Amino acid sequence: MSTTVIDETCRVGVDLVVVEDVAASVERFGERYLARVYTDHERACCTGDPTTVASGLAARFAAKEAALKVLRPVGPRPGWRSIEVVRHPNGACDLALTGRAARLAAEAGIRQLAVSLTHEAGMAAAVVMVTCGRGLLHPTDGSTKQGE
Amino acid sequence: MDDEIRRVLREHGKLPCQVETLDEDADLFEAGLTSHASVNVMLALEEAFDVEFPEPMLRKSTFESIGAIRHALTTLTAAGVPS
Repeated sequence: MSTTVIDETCRVGVDLVVVEDVAASVERFGERYLARVYTDHERACCTGDPTTVASGLAARFAAKEAALKVLRPVGPRPGWRSIEVVRHPNGACDLALTGRAARLAAEAGIRQLAVSLTHEAGMAAAVVMVTCGRGLLHPTDGSTKQGE
Repeated sequence: MDDEIRRVLREHGKLPCQVETLDEDADLFEAGLTSHASVNVMLALEEAFDVEFPEPMLRKSTFESIGAIRHALTTLTAAGVPS
């Protein structure tokens, strides 16, 4: 039986963060700030001198906010750590969603999710793009099914 | 409580306006509060009032105005949510 994806849409989120602001937060709040916002993996990926660390963290914060713009939470927002930037050995990054972020993605029918990070001249930015499909059309009975 | 909230906003909100001039219902995000600055405001409020914002309260509306912050802090302190 053939099926047709219906109502497929695309969402894009973008966010920009001042690296110096992140450096100031690390300086002022230290472990409380880091543990509240970033996962262990994200922190392990951001090493080096303070500016380099802050640049990496700022790009990851931007990714989390960009992801929120595509997840479009109504009510409580997902915790920052439930949106994780996963860095692969070749340097490419993906997003891993857990908890409420993952549930929002499932509810939105998000099928594919991509992220790109950058930082330059004291600013860090991220773009998140997703494709959403609300369901599949089954021609025999016209019904739709979620999440296939 | 409002004076302390305004102090936190003045020191951590990075608002491009005078915090003292903001009405308690003024939208802080419209006034220039960024997402990242709101994290600092949250952490500073936790320090100042010895509470911890639980995940269900981490919504934009919790920090959208001085009045909303006061309401959230009142709820937390009444519930005895320690940091």
